[in-house]
Amino acid sequence: MPGVTGEAARAKTELRARFRLATGAYVSALDVARDGSLGVVGLGDGRALGFDLRTGEELLSVNAHDGAVLGVSIAPDGQRFATSGQDPAAKIWARGGALERELPGGGGWVERVAWAPAGGRVATAAGKRVRLWTADGAPIVETEPLASTVTALAWRRDGAVLAAACYGGVHLLPVGAGDETRHLAWKGSLISLAWSPDARVVACGSQDASVHFWRLASGMDSQMTGYPFKPKALAWDADSKLLATSGDAVVTVWDFRGKGPEGSRPLRLEGHKGLCTCLAFSPRKGVLASGAEDTSVLLWEPRRGERPIRFAFLEDEVTALGWHPEHHTLVGADAAGTVCGWEIG
Amino acid sequence: MKKIPVTVLTGFLGSGKTTLLNRILTENHGKRIAVIENEFGEIGIDQALVIDADEEVFEMNNGCICCTVRGDLIRILGSLMKRKDKFDHVLVETTGMADPSPVAQTFFVDDDMKNLFALDAIVTLVDAKHVHLHLDDSNECREQIAFADVLVLNKTDLVSPAEVDAIERRVRSMNGVARVLRSVAADVPIADVLDVGGFDLDRAVATKPTFLDPEYPFEWAGTFELEEGIYDLSLGDGPDEVMDVVILPLPSGAAAHDRAPADRALRLWAHEAGRVQPGADLAPSEVGPSALDVAAKGPKSFRLRIPAAGRYGLYTEHLPVEYGLALLRGGAAVAPIASEEVTAGHTHDEDVTSVGIHLEGAIDGERLNRWLGALLREKGADIFRMKGILDIHGSDKRFVFQGVHMLFDGREDRPWGAEPRASDLVFIGKNLDRAELTRGFERCRA
Repeated sequence: MPGVTGEAARAKTELRARFRLATGAYVSALDVARDGSLGVVGLGDGRALGFDLRTGEELLSVNAHDGAVLGVSIAPDGQRFATSGQDPAAKIWARGGALERELPGGGGWVERVAWAPAGGRVATAAGKRVRLWTADGAPIVETEPLASTVTALAWRRDGAVLAAACYGGVHLLPVGAGDETRHLAWKGSLISLAWSPDARVVACGSQDASVHFWRLASGMDSQMTGYPFKPKALAWDADSKLLATSGDAVVTVWDFRGKGPEGSRPLRLEGHKGLCTCLAFSPRKGVLASGAEDTSVLLWEPRRGERPIRFAFLEDEVTALGWHPEHHTLVGADAAGTVCGWEIG
Repeated sequence: MKKIPVTVLTGFLGSGKTTLLNRILTENHGKRIAVIENEFGEIGIDQALVIDADEEVFEMNNGCICCTVRGDLIRILGSLMKRKDKFDHVLVETTGMADPSPVAQTFFVDDDMKNLFALDAIVTLVDAKHVHLHLDDSNECREQIAFADVLVLNKTDLVSPAEVDAIERRVRSMNGVARVLRSVAADVPIADVLDVGGFDLDRAVATKPTFLDPEYPFEWAGTFELEEGIYDLSLGDGPDEVMDVVILPLPSGAAAHDRAPADRALRLWAHEAGRVQPGADLAPSEVGPSALDVAAKGPKSFRLRIPAAGRYGLYTEHLPVEYGLALLRGGAAVAPIASEEVTAGHTHDEDVTSVGIHLEGAIDGERLNRWLGALLREKGADIFRMKGILDIHGSDKRFVFQGVHMLFDGREDRPWGAEPRASDLVFIGKNLDRAELTRGFERCRA
């Protein structure tokens, strides 16, 4: 196994791979269906591949975009998925791989696509505009240009509000009538976005190596600094209590229980030898998966301790991680095109 | 992994950026080029990847203007690295009025960009016909010229050769390091604008003997053959109450105005001048200039003691005729065997200039760091670019670096080998104080 070192082996047990695919192109996006029946990766050569999460069996392959695929999002019912990439239209595909609809973006790349967890909406972001579509791909609304290019999208769990991050803050865009749009202003270039599952906190990573978050009820915001690099990956645990952040080889976890995390010391998860690039909390049991530039994937139980409990390695920089909803499988992918499914005990 | 070179194309509207871009893209150079444009052009070339981008200039949160970056470039270039069909060169075209610093700083500030890309050169196109309209009233125009590694004087067919010469003199006085090319329809050799290694000072020094003609602080340099003994330096009344002079021994065969001795005099000039009263002794000095007190009316004389027969250079702050200056031996005038008036190299009094400093003897790395750190904190906004090849004490390798405003990036280069070891440092910026910079750099000697 490449790169196995004494240090990483502090996690006693190596993860057992259920399958390992070599797609041959940079894995730039990954999503896992909520029913666990399908995983889809987007690739640097424009393809999207669907696979069975248990066996790795390829279920579909489509040439989705001219350049790299940049976004993949599976509908909550698992019957459709949407892709976007380095060309001017996002696309909605049937589960089997048939193209259902093109969602034009207005000229530039459609860099983001996000299927609402509920309510049958798809959101796309191209340049400074956000567009909403029905699950069939019919246009609903297009925003005015925001302050700058939209860098990240995140839905509130109920699918009623969409968050869009860009330079200057986060825009909260309600889908239904009646709700007001809201702007969480902050002078800085936001590059990542994660909305807590309980809908109370919006967190962003910023270009200037900090994490900024807003408590929506009070409007209070806080900034967590001290990262050596910009935090590109953020992940909330299922209870909305722990926020894991990248921006270093050390994974920093902020604890929102009690009065925290302001003024508290975060958990520091040390194990990677390179910059952390991906984070994903399991929907169950509070297990955190982290991936890094050094090809390592580590599992942690932050509530129990600061040492990794399992490890694995890919072939190149880890570019995506995703959990099976039942917690039995973790999928990881890398810049060399490897897609690996690990069995979780 | 080799970093992908980035060429930045700047220039005012109508200067020929798009023409040059099209030439680069259609030429058969075998490169796959990714072009980041600010307006959707009609370019459809198979071998190139043309991406439209809105220039999004972000201030980093510390509020420092020197840390503005192009957010769109970070996003787009990061995303392009995921593609299967990788590219081997990036061209960024800026809008006409763009300040070039954010695009350049992007490749110094952002970690991803720093790891994947290397700024190759900033190429600025200058419309020979209209540039004089912009030079006086546009900061952006002056900054685009000051930032350039390559300056293309385009549309030279629309003005007379004398006018082109005048423009070239003017832009050189602002940016003494850039390579200057002339063109009609942006028809410059592609090899002169792509992969030029913008901070390859070697090439600049090698190909351009007039590399950074410094602005000398003296107006006259005289070469004398002198005997051992006492001479009188005699002066009448003149424009100032003090005149600085430097007297140096010269190697045989050398003239005082030759580049090497003139540069020695220039460096001495940076030191504190010692005040000398009429009637007092003067001697050739490697310490600093002598400030002759010439406040008194009427003739004044200073005793110049020559320790050994040989050739000497006399450098004077003002022209000898302004003071009726003469060198006398036993009452008889001694004529210089050669003399040269050193005039300022430009007619316009530019606020943007270049200062090049050449220093022999190794540099102490820590002192240099401290000095540059303090200098950039204080003057970073005015120092547009900085380049250097340094002889660092204790290292067998050349240290090369370049900077944009307060940011700089350096690395060890090839071993010195048989090459004479020396340090060259160049600043391009606004309101630069040559003497102060020279003094500061000299204090970094190991």
